[in-house]
Amino acid sequence: MTHLALTDISKQYAGTAVVQDFNLDVKKSEFVSFLGPSGCGKTTTLRMIAGFEIPTTGRVTLDDADITNKAPNQRNVGMVFQAYALFPNMTVAQNIGFGMQIHKESKSAIKQRVEEMLALIHLEAKGNSYPNQLSGGQQQRVALARALANRPQVLLLDEPLSALDAKIRVQLRAEIRAIQKKLGITAIYVTHDQEEALSISDRIVVMSGGKIEQVGTPFQIYNFPETSFVANFVGTLNTVRAEVLDPAKQLLRVDGVELEAAEGLADKKRGDQITIAIRPERIQFASLEKKANVFECTIENITFLGSIVRVQVLTGSNKLFLDTFNNPFLELPKIGAKEKITCSKEAVLVLQ
Amino acid sequence: MRRGGQIWAWFWMVLGVLYFFLPLLATFLFSLRAKKGVLSFLAYQNILTDPDFTHSFSSSIVWAVFTIIVGILIFVPTAYLIRLRLPRFRTPVEFITLLPFVIPVIVYVFSLVRTFSQPPLLIVDSPALLIAAYTVVSMPYMYSAIDTGLRAIDVRTLTEAGQSLGASWATILFRIILPNIRVAILSGAFISFAIVMGELILAQYLVKPAFAPYMAFLMQQKAYEPAALAIVSFALTWACMGVIQLVGRGRGEAQIAAGH
Repeated sequence: MTHLALTDISKQYAGTAVVQDFNLDVKKSEFVSFLGPSGCGKTTTLRMIAGFEIPTTGRVTLDDADITNKAPNQRNVGMVFQAYALFPNMTVAQNIGFGMQIHKESKSAIKQRVEEMLALIHLEAKGNSYPNQLSGGQQQRVALARALANRPQVLLLDEPLSALDAKIRVQLRAEIRAIQKKLGITAIYVTHDQEEALSISDRIVVMSGGKIEQVGTPFQIYNFPETSFVANFVGTLNTVRAEVLDPAKQLLRVDGVELEAAEGLADKKRGDQITIAIRPERIQFASLEKKANVFECTIENITFLGSIVRVQVLTGSNKLFLDTFNNPFLELPKIGAKEKITCSKEAVLVLQ
Repeated sequence: MRRGGQIWAWFWMVLGVLYFFLPLLATFLFSLRAKKGVLSFLAYQNILTDPDFTHSFSSSIVWAVFTIIVGILIFVPTAYLIRLRLPRFRTPVEFITLLPFVIPVIVYVFSLVRTFSQPPLLIVDSPALLIAAYTVVSMPYMYSAIDTGLRAIDVRTLTEAGQSLGASWATILFRIILPNIRVAILSGAFISFAIVMGELILAQYLVKPAFAPYMAFLMQQKAYEPAALAIVSFALTWACMGVIQLVGRGRGEAQIAAGH
């Protein structure tokens, strides 16, 4: 059942469309991420849910109630900001209890809830500290607790981890996800970090130019990108121009070599020029007996990425990346060496 | 080279101190000569026991307090709104706030008297007009102090955080914004206080009791008491500045300590 619905949403500033034709249904307790580059409209969409922006057209409904034109303080929506936005003049406990105080809850109820929230974010000892006495990660946890203390129907998170260093970011995103699951709250998370979106979300909405490119689970978005934008934006991807040889047999030609795809050519004609995509981790060095989908290549560069080694190869006119797991007991090919690479037909993605 | 630079720095500093403090010292010494042949605080005693001094001084304090309250009530919401919602009005409003620097007070007071001394706006005798006039004269300092305070905090995000927690505009303004620009407001308030205490023309032409006209009157009548009054006036202004420094430093130290 739909909990939050955005229907035909668009937003224009001085005639320029920032968000267009945005339709999304979010289920209760679902964690949905808006993923896209800067200026793609993801934050504007989030702000329309929060009530800080009013859509030019369309409707926002929460539990079937139309909240499109409701003031932000009339919606039961919690928000976590990139810049923490803790009130500097209040202690951690006062920050967390602020929303409940506004809603005129009793002192004992506020005290109890603040203690619950402090325990939830593991900052029990920091209730009397001021925000500037906390680290960035601690401040963002307090901001999360403050947004949750009011028991909002939806939790909105606007790039909450962007201001933190890499290690804290990874740790805190796991905490956010754990808290969201524990409380069963519906969450909308805005990020431009694909790894963050893939690791934390139930579903991802990939956006570009104010429009939705694709909505799907992290698995679908990563493994089956529907557009070249999604394919290029999410993860590292090799995109290659190919000629359709036989649509019925799913056969293509790349750099004069036949390549078999698993699907996606049914609506194509022989001779069509199309774009295909192959993930680096789905390309391997070919064994001698392997004959199909094999390309000869020259090793151009090798980049060590810790657990993964990324090899750049040249096959005819195309430069491709190939990822292999780092194995200290296996010798890597030399730069300039001639090798053969291959991929399964399932690894070949035909882009729309 | 560095040593030579230091000598020059000290030279200019000593010269500056002498330039500012010698007249003050001379005034102070002069104020102690009310009793012939000995140094005494007789002039100060005369002033402090003069009922006119008490009346004018307390009146000025009342005007200053009301000026500060009116200033805060007008300029905090204005500067807040401009920073949050109407940034395009920032330049024109800043220009307007600086007008008291350009328009001489004597011109201003004549226009006030002319405008408000005939029906339907016959309020030239009202203390409200004097307070309004003081508010305008102290506007450049008050507005810029508040604006600087607002610039130091993330007004938009704090406001949105307050809104998302259910707070109204008034709650956000009084419970989130005001406490976080407290030092800026205090500094604007103390400067306004010093201005009102030293402003001569407005009170004189609007015929209201005030400290500065009393001082001017005394200068025409007596010799040592005006000097004593000048020292009292200086002490008062410095006390105001001292309070600003104390409040500002207190907060700064708290923040530095918090950062560790």
